[in-house]
Amino acid sequence: MDPSEVEFLAEKEMVKIIPNFSLDKIYLIGGDLGPFNPGLPVDVPVWLALNLKQRQKCRIVPPAWMDVEKLEEMRELERKEDTFSPVPSPYYMELTKVLLNHASDNIPKADEIRTLVKDIWDTRIAKLRLSADSFISQLEAHAKLDNLTLMEINTIRAFLLDSLNCMYKLRSNLQPGSSKKQFTDY
Amino acid sequence: MPCDRKPMRYGHSEGHTEVCFDESGKFLVTGGNDGDVRIWDGLDDDDPKFITVGEKVYSLALKNGKLVTASSNNTVQIHTFPDGEPDGILTRFTTNATHVAFNGSGSRVAAGSSDFMVKVVEVSDSSQQKTLRGHEAPVLSVTFDPKDDFLASASCDGSVVVWNIEEQSQLIRWPLLQKTNDVSNAPSLCRLAWQPAAAEFLAVPVETKVHLYERGSWNHVSTLSDDLLTQLVNVVVWSPCGRFLAAGGVGGSLTVWDVSSKLCVERQKHEKGFTVCGLAWSPSGSQLAYTDTEGCLGLLDGLGSSGSSSAAKDFDDLFDDDDDRPMDEGLSDGHSPGKKPHEDDEDEDDFHVPATGRARNRGAILDDENSLDAGSVTLSRDKYDVADGGAVLPAAAAPAPPLRPAYEGPLPTAPQKAFQPGSTPAHLTHRFMMWNSVGIIRGYNDEEDNAVDVEFHDTAVHHAMHLTNSLGHTMADLSQEAVLLACPGTDELASKLQCLHFSSWDTNKEWMVDLPPGEDVRALCLGRRWAAVATSALMLRLFSIGGVQREMFSLPGNVVSMVTHGEQLLIVYHRAPGFDGDQALGVQLLQVGRRPKQLIHGEPLPLSPRTHLAWLGFSAEGTPCYVDSDGVVRMLNRSLGNTWTPVCNTRETCKSKSDHYWVVGIHENPQQLRCIPCKGSRYPPTLPRPAVAILPFKLPLCQTSTEKGLMEEQYWRSVLFHNHFSFLSSSGYEVDEEQQTRSQKEQQELLMKMFALSCKLEREFRCVELAELMTQNVVTLAVRYAARSRRMALAQRLSELALEKANQMQEEEPEEEEEEPESSAGDTCHMKGDAPFTRDTQVLGSGKPSSSPAHRATSILDNMASGRKSSPLAGSVGKPNKGPVLKPLAPRPKTKPRGGLTRFTAFRPKTGFQLWLEENRKSISADQPDLEETDVIKEAMGRFRTLTAEERLVRNDEQQTKSPTAVQAVPLLFKSNRLKLFAAHWRNRPRPQLYS
Repeated sequence: MDPSEVEFLAEKEMVKIIPNFSLDKIYLIGGDLGPFNPGLPVDVPVWLALNLKQRQKCRIVPPAWMDVEKLEEMRELERKEDTFSPVPSPYYMELTKVLLNHASDNIPKADEIRTLVKDIWDTRIAKLRLSADSFISQLEAHAKLDNLTLMEINTIRAFLLDSLNCMYKLRSNLQPGSSKKQFTDY
Repeated sequence: MPCDRKPMRYGHSEGHTEVCFDESGKFLVTGGNDGDVRIWDGLDDDDPKFITVGEKVYSLALKNGKLVTASSNNTVQIHTFPDGEPDGILTRFTTNATHVAFNGSGSRVAAGSSDFMVKVVEVSDSSQQKTLRGHEAPVLSVTFDPKDDFLASASCDGSVVVWNIEEQSQLIRWPLLQKTNDVSNAPSLCRLAWQPAAAEFLAVPVETKVHLYERGSWNHVSTLSDDLLTQLVNVVVWSPCGRFLAAGGVGGSLTVWDVSSKLCVERQKHEKGFTVCGLAWSPSGSQLAYTDTEGCLGLLDGLGSSGSSSAAKDFDDLFDDDDDRPMDEGLSDGHSPGKKPHEDDEDEDDFHVPATGRARNRGAILDDENSLDAGSVTLSRDKYDVADGGAVLPAAAAPAPPLRPAYEGPLPTAPQKAFQPGSTPAHLTHRFMMWNSVGIIRGYNDEEDNAVDVEFHDTAVHHAMHLTNSLGHTMADLSQEAVLLACPGTDELASKLQCLHFSSWDTNKEWMVDLPPGEDVRALCLGRRWAAVATSALMLRLFSIGGVQREMFSLPGNVVSMVTHGEQLLIVYHRAPGFDGDQALGVQLLQVGRRPKQLIHGEPLPLSPRTHLAWLGFSAEGTPCYVDSDGVVRMLNRSLGNTWTPVCNTRETCKSKSDHYWVVGIHENPQQLRCIPCKGSRYPPTLPRPAVAILPFKLPLCQTSTEKGLMEEQYWRSVLFHNHFSFLSSSGYEVDEEQQTRSQKEQQELLMKMFALSCKLEREFRCVELAELMTQNVVTLAVRYAARSRRMALAQRLSELALEKANQMQEEEPEEEEEEPESSAGDTCHMKGDAPFTRDTQVLGSGKPSSSPAHRATSILDNMASGRKSSPLAGSVGKPNKGPVLKPLAPRPKTKPRGGLTRFTAFRPKTGFQLWLEENRKSISADQPDLEETDVIKEAMGRFRTLTAEERLVRNDEQQTKSPTAVQAVPLLFKSNRLKLFAAHWRNRPRPQLYS
C-alpha cells in the first residue's frame, strides 16, 4: 500500500468543523452529513472538512488529542515503554499531516504539535526497526506487535518482506540439501 | 479607598510564606517554605537577592538592619540586613519556633514556639532571656505592646494571653479561639497586632471578625466586621499611623478598616482565592504587601497615606454627602439623645433608597467576577456601624449615650448592573461584546489597539469587519441587518449611539445619534428593522434601522438587560431593591411593529435564590428565555399564562464547581442549548477561540430516573418546546407544519407509552388521566389496548371519554367556522380582502400552499399593500430570509393561518361514532325526515350513547379496519357545507400510523 492510499483511508475519519454557511442535511452514499448551521460545530469526514476549509467555508476544530499537553504525555509514555503504547487515533500521523498542512491557522501551537507527533512517530518507527532486527537476528518464526497503525505497518512492510525473502533465498542456498538440489537442477 | 491590586508573583515554593518591609520601605522581604529569605527591590524585581537561612522559614522579622528568622532547626537566628551575613543564634527551642516579633524599638525579640513557650530575648545580649510559660499548646503568634510593658500571645489551646513581661506573669486570658493540637491544624494563624504609637488597642482575629481590646482595662471595646468576610481572618496588621487595620484571611480576603469609624474602607480578594498568611504595611502606609500559602507575593498599592489629612479626605470623598452626615452627627451630636429620632429618619430614608451611585462605586472597586452580588448589603451595614461607631468610640471619654438597637433584618442587595446578554465583562481588555446567533463582536482595549472586530457566523450575511473604537464603545449588538454600538458619555462628550447599517441599499451605511446630556446608554438591542436603547434616564428609545427616531417610553426601573426577536422586545429591569442577595427584577414583553401591544406587563422575573440574571434572550423560534447565575435556564410558557418554566440547569453538567457554561443561544427545534464551556471561569477568553457546545434540555421533574418520570419529563418537555408553534401561527408567522405534526405525534406516542406502563402497573385511574391528555383517535387506540389486556372497566371508561372527545370536536368545528370571519375582520384590511381567496388556495393547494403560483401572486400583493399602508418598517419587502433560523422573523406573507385549518391538517381517522353515524344516518333520516343536519347528529349521538360498551368497541375496532374504505364514505357523510372543508382535508390527511 502506498502512503497516499493510507492517507486516503485516513480521510474517512470524522472531524469537527464550524461552518460559516448554512445548509440542510446532505445525503451521501457514506451517510448523511449535517445539517450545517453557521457557528455550530458539526462532524464531517476529513476530506470534506479539508475541501470546505480550502474554500474558506469552515474552521476546523482540532481533535481532542491534538493538544500539546496530551501529546507530550504520550511521547513520554512512548519513550518509557518498550512496547508500542496505544495511539490516540489509528490515523494520528496522517491526520496531523493533513490538518496541519491545510488548517494550521485553526490549530493552536501547530508547530509544537508537528514536532511532538514527529517525535512520537520516530520513537515508534525506531522500536519497529529494533523489533524487526531482533526478529531476524534471533531467527524467530513469528512475532506479535500490538497497537501499530496502518501507516507504520506500511512503512516497514515492503522492506521487511523483501528482505525476508532475500534472506530465505540466501539461507536455502547455504543448506547442503538445497545446494545439492540446485546442483541437480544444473 | 481606591487602590491598585498588582498581579501576584511567584515568591517561594508552596507553603506558609511571610512578608515584611524594611524600614525605608524600599525593600520587601519574604520568607517561605524553601528556606530562603528573598529581598525584593519592589514587586517588579525580577532577580531578588536571597539569603538561605535553613530548610524552612516559619517566621521572620526585620528591624535596625537585623533580620530575625524562625527556621526549621529549632532556632531563632539573626542575619544582617541587607548583606545577609549570619549574626548568630538568638535562642533555641526544643522544637521549631512559630512566630517572631520585634518590639517597637527593635531592642527585644519575642518568639513563640511549638513547645508551648514564649521567649523574650534582648537582641544585644541573647543571654538575657525571659520565658513565659503557661500556654498548653503550641504558640500561634506573639506581639509586643508598643510601650514595651506587655506581650500578647495566641496559642493553639484556644487562648489569647496578655503577659506582663517584667513579672513574667499572665495578666489576662481570653478563651477566644478554636482548640487544636498543632499550628498546622489551626484553622487560623491568629496573628495578633497591637496598635502602634497610641498603643490603645490590641487587635485579635476571632473567626470572621477582628476584636479590639483596650489596653489597660482589657475590655473588648469593639468588633470590626464585614459582611463579605465569610471566612476566617488569619492575620491582622495595623497601618503605621495606627488608623487603619488590615486583615487577611482564609479564602484570600483582604480587608482594611478605618478603626475610628469602624468602616470597612477597602476590600480586595486574592486573585486566586488562596489563603493570605502574611501581611505587611509599608512604612509610608501606601502599600500593603501580602503573601499566600502557595508562596506567592502580592501588593496593594495606592492605599491612603498614613494619617495625613489628605488621605482622610480621600476616604470621605468616596462616599456621598449623605453618608457623611450621619457619621458626623454620630460623632458630634452623639451624646444628645434629642437628636436621635431625626437621625433615625434619615437612616430609614437611606435604607429605602439605596444610593445607586455609591453602590456602583463599590462595585467598581471589586472588579472580580462576582462583583454583581457585592456591595450594598455591606453598605447599609456600614451605615449602621457608623452610627454604632459614633456612639461607641467616644463612649470611652464621655458618658455612654443610649445605644440604638442594631438592625438585624434583611439587608438590601446591590442592584445588578446593566449588561448586554452574550457579552463578557467590560473591564477585560479582550472581551466579547456580543455573541449571538448572527455573529460575534469582539472588543480589544489594550495599549496597542482599541478596536472592535465583527465576525459573522454565516459569511453570506456580510464579510467580517474591523473597526477602530475611537469613541470607546462598550456595548454592541448585531443582527442580520446592522451592527449597533454605544459608548457611555464622558464629561465633554455625550453618550453616543452608532449604527453600521450594512444591509442598507444606499451608500450611507452608517449613522450616529447623540443622547441628551446626562443620559447614558445602558442597554441596547437590534430588532428586525428597528433598534431599542435603554438609557440611564429610565427611558426606552426606539429607532428605525435607518436612524429615524420612533416611539419612546419610560421604564419602570433601571434596565438590567434587553433583547429582541423579530417584533418582540423583552426588557428586564429593577423592580425594587432586592434583599439578602436576591435581585428583584421585573420583566416586560412588548410587541413593537405593526400591532404594538404589551404582552407581559412588568411582572416579577423569578430567579433562583441569591442569584442575578446572567443571560437573557429569545430562542430562535421567538420564546423568551433567561439564565440566572446559578445556571438555571428558564423559558416562557405561553400556554400556562406566561409563566416561566425551568428547562435546564447547566451547572448539573459541569465537571467541577468552578466550571460554567456561558449560554449563547437557545433553539427549540431541535432542542439545543448552545453554550460555551468555560473551565474554571464564568466567561470564555477570546483566545483560543472557544467552541460552542450543545446541551440537552431537561425539565426538573421528580424521579426522572424511573421510567415513568423519564417519560413524563419527555412529554412535558415536548409540549413546552412546541408551544412556539401556536404562538407563531397566532401572530401570523410561518410555521413548519410538518414539524408540528411530527411533534404532536411524538407527544401522543409518549402518552401511549405512559398509558401502557400505567396499564401494566394496574393503575387504571392514572390511565384515564393520561387518556384525557390524548387526542381522540389515540384514545381509541388506548381503548383497544385496554380491551386486549382484558381491562373492560377501563375500556368502557375510555370509550366514554373517546365519545366525549368526539363530541367536543364536533362542537368545536362549527365554532371555528364562525370564528374565522371574525378573526380576519379584526385583522388589517388587506388580510380581510385576501381571506376568501387564500382559503381556496389552501384547500386546492393540497396542503402545500407555498408551492402554488396563485400564492406567490397574493404574497406580492400583500407586500405591496402593507408597504403602502404602514411605514416601510413594517413591510417585508426587504431581502428574503435565507436561514432556516430566521423564518419566524419574517411575517408570513401569504395567508393568515387559522386555527381551524392548521388543526385540520393533523391527521384524524374516523371515530367509532362517525362510522356508526354513516351506517345509521339513513335510518335516522327515515325516522325523522324533517330534521336539520345538526339535529340529525344530535339524534345520532343520543342513539349511539344508548349502545352498549361492547357494541361501541366494535365500532372503534371497525374504525381501524375500515379506514381505507372510509375514504369513499366521506362524500356521503359530509353532505353539509360545514363539513366540506373537513372532507377536503380528510382526503389529504397523512396516513394514520399504528402504534405497536
